[in-house]
Amino acid sequence: MSLIFERRIKKRTIILSIFFSLWTIGLILRLIQLQIFQHARLKQEVIEHNQRIDKILPKRGTIYDRNGIILVRSIPYPSIFFTSFGEDVKKLSGKELNLIDRILDLDTHDLKRIKKQISNNDSFIWIERKVDPKMADQISALKLEGIHNLEENKRFYPQGKLAAHVLGTVNIDNQGVCGIERSCNEILEGKIGKRLILSDAKRRKYRLEIIQKPVAGRNIVLTLDETIQYITEKELEHAMLKTKAKWGTVIVSHPSNGEILAMANYPTRNPNLLPPSSLDLNRNQAIHFLFEPGSTFKIVTASAAIESRKIGLNEIFDCSRGAISLDKITYHDHSSFEKLSFPEVIIHSSNVGTIQVGQRLGEELISETIHNFRFGKQTGIQLPAEEKGKIRPIEQWSKYSVSSLSIGYEISTTALQMLQALNVIANKGVYYPPNIIKSIEGSSPKTSTTSPKRIISEETARILTGILEEAVEQGTGILSRIDDYKIAGKTGTAQKFDPELNTYSSQVHTSSFMGFVPSQDPVLSIIVVIDDPQGEFYGGTVAAPVFREIAREALRYLNIPGRRIMPERVITAKIQSQESS
Amino acid sequence: MVRKKLNRKEMIFIFFCTCIFVLILTFYIWHLIESIRVGYDASSLTIELQELKERVEKLETQKAKLLALERVERIAEEKLNLEKPRKEQIFHFAEKSISDGKSL
Repeated sequence: MSLIFERRIKKRTIILSIFFSLWTIGLILRLIQLQIFQHARLKQEVIEHNQRIDKILPKRGTIYDRNGIILVRSIPYPSIFFTSFGEDVKKLSGKELNLIDRILDLDTHDLKRIKKQISNNDSFIWIERKVDPKMADQISALKLEGIHNLEENKRFYPQGKLAAHVLGTVNIDNQGVCGIERSCNEILEGKIGKRLILSDAKRRKYRLEIIQKPVAGRNIVLTLDETIQYITEKELEHAMLKTKAKWGTVIVSHPSNGEILAMANYPTRNPNLLPPSSLDLNRNQAIHFLFEPGSTFKIVTASAAIESRKIGLNEIFDCSRGAISLDKITYHDHSSFEKLSFPEVIIHSSNVGTIQVGQRLGEELISETIHNFRFGKQTGIQLPAEEKGKIRPIEQWSKYSVSSLSIGYEISTTALQMLQALNVIANKGVYYPPNIIKSIEGSSPKTSTTSPKRIISEETARILTGILEEAVEQGTGILSRIDDYKIAGKTGTAQKFDPELNTYSSQVHTSSFMGFVPSQDPVLSIIVVIDDPQGEFYGGTVAAPVFREIAREALRYLNIPGRRIMPERVITAKIQSQESS
Repeated sequence: MVRKKLNRKEMIFIFFCTCIFVLILTFYIWHLIESIRVGYDASSLTIELQELKERVEKLETQKAKLLALERVERIAEEKLNLEKPRKEQIFHFAEKSISDGKSL
């Protein structure tokens, strides 16, 4: 019995040993197959399934005004795309596309593009980028195969059209196209990062590892003041609608450091909406459009006259004929005068008188002063594609050039260049370059490359300020007056050159006014340029009232007291904030 | 072939070793599971933090949009019937100098 039992056990042991040996050999062979022969392929499959390297898009920097108000910020928006890559999806059907179209209301151009890509069997198709998150949720709820969302950053302008031309726009790939968005693109855009995502079999993420940190774009603080910008845009729009002019621009600056507080253009646009139909709407007229300044340029002629001491302040000029002829060209005055002293020539903006002054000064001095005031050069403001203006070299001047230049013709400038020249006078002869960036996150506060420079003497600036004060008090700029403040300013009305007639048109004008206030300790300097106003066209009647309204509201906002001060017996009250109570 | 009977001491030793092995194995598996769970929690918290940051930014932007001066002025004039102060209603304090104005 025990022998039979022992044999059975032996037999079973052998069978089991053979079975386990075969199982072990099979297992080893399978392991060799998997680990050696198929190692590379299987490893790749595992990596593809469990690991993914994602791009981390950097957040584009925010742009603030000088008081920390958000002017532009990037906000995540979903972009919808179709992909058949790595999925068991053949192609997007027409029915599915119709369902998407009902939600997104795609335009015909996009629909055509998508249909073409479907017929080409493209494995990746953008349906629409940066859509309303609610719409994206509706599309996700459809659970269409191959349709996914990708989060991208979209630029949002919470103030709408405010400072649209200064801020500029970006294209669909968040690259700056114009304005600060373009000139500071490298600062704002940041650098793309990478992250490793490990997922389990159910594709749940269990580990995120940053391989390369994204570098967020740096924030920029502009010198613009939201409130002054708003006041400026509102008053410019009001004037433009009233005068039915072609375009208009206003710049407000702080003369003692060249900071731009507002830069407005009309017509304007809301950068949150679709791109404008005309590229002109993207252009910042304040630095792009060139115009012959006319009488506002007389401040340069007057500066040369006073600085060189070639003209005495009590000298009298005969303007009684109302016109002055040089061969074929006759220059007229806007109204009749008798004999005017040098300051009166400027105060009443007499062309005849100023031409006589210019002729006395001569080519060399006029040319030198124009260049000293930096005409014909870019101001260096941190905005793209700034025009440098047009002024012919002295060798190419004609016999009319001195006369024309004295009264602001034969020279094309931008509004910013004119304001820069005015700021020299406002700033007691010292030139400060215009500046629109107050600070950049992570950089030293100083952004300007040009240092202050004396252009004219303090004495010349003081005399000229007095003349410009009188131009407002009793001259052509009377409509710019504000009761409690002393203003120094100059009007300009320039006929526009008609290339078809090859002469200056008496129908089309560029009207302007520029001034600073309070004149003895200026806080604001403002230039208003209105192109081709209908009806009234004099700078004193079209542009000066715009200056007045902007200055009045801005001074009130800045709490700059005028000559009228607080009466003694006034009861004042102060509202306590919740924190302090 | 006669199987050798284990004595009591040996059995206790084997039992003890098995217990230790099971304990170590259990601890190791628990540790692995905990690590993975903490990984899940950390990644979901990272995502939540990111989402909250984005939400704060969105709210700040929304605030800026709601406080846009054009909108505020429209509401003040149309809904609240407010008017701009007249000249005689504005007083500047004499002791206030120009430099006290907004940060220019």
